[in-house]
Amino acid sequence: MNGALPAEVELTTVPGLAGLYRQALALAVRRKVGLLPTPSVLPAVRHRVGGVAVDLGGLTRFQHLLGSAARDVLPSAYLHTLAFPVAMSVLTRADFPLPLLGMVHLSNEVHQDRQVSAFEKLDVVSWSEGLRPHPAGLQVDLVTEIGVDGIRVWSGRSVYLARGMRLETPDPRERGPKDRPAFSRPATTGLWRLDADTGRRYAAVSGDWNPIHLSGLTARALGMKTAIAHGMYLAARMVDEAVPAPAGPLVWRINFASPVLLPGAVTTSFLHRGTPDDERVDVVGWSAARQRLHFTGWVRAE
Amino acid sequence: MADQAGAQNAAQSPRTAVVIGGNRIPFARAGGAYAYSSNKDMLIAALDGLVARFGLQGERIGEVAAGAVLKHSRDFNLTREAVLGSALSPQTPAYDLQQACATGLETVVGLSNKIKLGQIESGIAGGVDSASDAPIAVSEGLRRVLLDLSRAKTTPQKLRILSTLRPKDLSPNAPGTGEPRTGLSMGEHQAITTAAWKITREAQDELAYRSHHNLAAAYERGFFSDLMTPYRGLTRDANLRADTSLEKLATLKPVFGKGLDTPATMTAGNSTPLTDGAALVLLGSEEYATANNLPMLANIVDAEAAAVDFVHGEEGLLMGGVHAVPRLLERNGLTLDDFDFFEIHEAFAGTVLSALAAWEDEDYCKRVLGLDGALGSIDRSRLNVHGSSLAAGHPFAATGGRIVASLAKTLSEQGGRGLISICAAGGQGVVAILEARN
Repeated sequence: MNGALPAEVELTTVPGLAGLYRQALALAVRRKVGLLPTPSVLPAVRHRVGGVAVDLGGLTRFQHLLGSAARDVLPSAYLHTLAFPVAMSVLTRADFPLPLLGMVHLSNEVHQDRQVSAFEKLDVVSWSEGLRPHPAGLQVDLVTEIGVDGIRVWSGRSVYLARGMRLETPDPRERGPKDRPAFSRPATTGLWRLDADTGRRYAAVSGDWNPIHLSGLTARALGMKTAIAHGMYLAARMVDEAVPAPAGPLVWRINFASPVLLPGAVTTSFLHRGTPDDERVDVVGWSAARQRLHFTGWVRAE
Repeated sequence: MADQAGAQNAAQSPRTAVVIGGNRIPFARAGGAYAYSSNKDMLIAALDGLVARFGLQGERIGEVAAGAVLKHSRDFNLTREAVLGSALSPQTPAYDLQQACATGLETVVGLSNKIKLGQIESGIAGGVDSASDAPIAVSEGLRRVLLDLSRAKTTPQKLRILSTLRPKDLSPNAPGTGEPRTGLSMGEHQAITTAAWKITREAQDELAYRSHHNLAAAYERGFFSDLMTPYRGLTRDANLRADTSLEKLATLKPVFGKGLDTPATMTAGNSTPLTDGAALVLLGSEEYATANNLPMLANIVDAEAAAVDFVHGEEGLLMGGVHAVPRLLERNGLTLDDFDFFEIHEAFAGTVLSALAAWEDEDYCKRVLGLDGALGSIDRSRLNVHGSSLAAGHPFAATGGRIVASLAKTLSEQGGRGLISICAAGGQGVVAILEARN
């Protein structure tokens, strides 16, 4: 960071994700052949879009795919999906130091101050911060805030990992935690059976056609073993199942431990913790066949 | 032997069941604002509003009963699934009920009886229906083949089964409004009844006009403000035509009864359209309402179901309520004159007018209903005072909840006693009495 106040870039509309992926690809190619230098600091810039309206048809398709009721209140994860292209536009800037394609989604944490109706106009602002080492490369936070009439109603922080990247001046003291949280299998409460087309169906409702979710072929082209479930698909299902009808503030977090390969089955555990005034549901998803943890998380409704 | 409950039974109600309030979503025309919403979506939307209005978040309700007439097989536990998707306590039990268009009223009757018996303290009753998101089944031929295939073990067996499949088996079955036993649609059945009672086109259009006029006036004065929550952009029933006129209604072409000897009189204007929507009512004991500081709009006094033999032409398909009302009145020692409000479900304008004509007909009442004389007349100014299904639309299982909530609120505002009559497919009818609290 250069310490200056972040600049604001006002986008006229929410950009299309397909165009952003093409941009990311072009950027990657130009960097690879040395036409473009790879910067070492995050751009001090915030991207902003005002007055975003919700398409009811798209909302209904999203809600049905996730198995939630098509109510007029927006699912918390849908707000992330609506705002995601704005966040993506930050990652595909020529002065963003990490390659977007192949970046790994590590976690999401969302603080939502109130429920948001499908008929409200949303202002989205997104920026990156906290470029720091990770045992496997570099990690960065992507922060998105959604406001209505100038008041913040939703704030999300996604952490991404760029494998194999290093800071120019490595500082061993800033190494991230090496150990993943130990996987102690909790009581099973459910099973998600995910068909091979889960990624394509989520792409159709989210607009996120990231090739790693679409098919084995497109995923292998980007270095994956096969297609994997979208992290936000898992998060959206987790939040809806944990608290199906939130009335007020909602806070949730999901940590991705290993990708969910498609097709596949995720064994789930949803367990109530906390008091009636501070309802919290702890969630774990894992593969029973491969004895591997996929994600942990929690949802708290106030 | 006739099943006739004695008058003392009604009087011996151990406890009082009250209507606390209601909530519905505006009704949409099929293919309209709720075209992509499922029964579960709409039931949850109605439930969300009810929960918010009466502060039921996290509450364990005694029981929730609801249903849908057009129901996907995957929705076998529709009401319980809606409860699990709502803010109610997951410890709230629920059951599905289906009695065609009487579904909603019958859930109110069932749960109010449980409250009266002391089995539950609170209940949520109602229903939902989507004509837009109706289930479509594979043909009987394809269904048979698929089931046989799932049991076949060898490839030759599978091939042999597949070879029995015919092209016509690939066309799906959509639900219709035809009566299974007669093959006649509900409209055609009503056309026979309408003609038999010599109900004129003008009288039917007049009833439809009043329905729109009354519903529009009710919206104007904010009557539905605490009975409804908007959904998917709708804030009013989409079928309501506040500016309709007798002249406009008179221009519509008849759609039912065109094969009869008499002129066809039933149009799209004086018949209910296919509609999507959901409606719920919160019921409770007096103790429950008092303890939770909730309003008590009206008491649920008594109810009666009846069915008629429409298969052999003895009676009209939608005349079930006509038979149920005199039995209910006798058990409660009441006459039509003892009522201040009448809610007769407008499946078709002809249905309501045939019922009124039948109750005024001395010969019919003696011969068919077994009464000493005519049951009586109904003052039209007391009939469907806030509009009914012709204007609001009629999502089959949702209509009972709409009517009970509206009548209960009317009684709480104006006092008195109200009679509900809802006809249903299969020659059935369910009727009920509601009474103001004082």
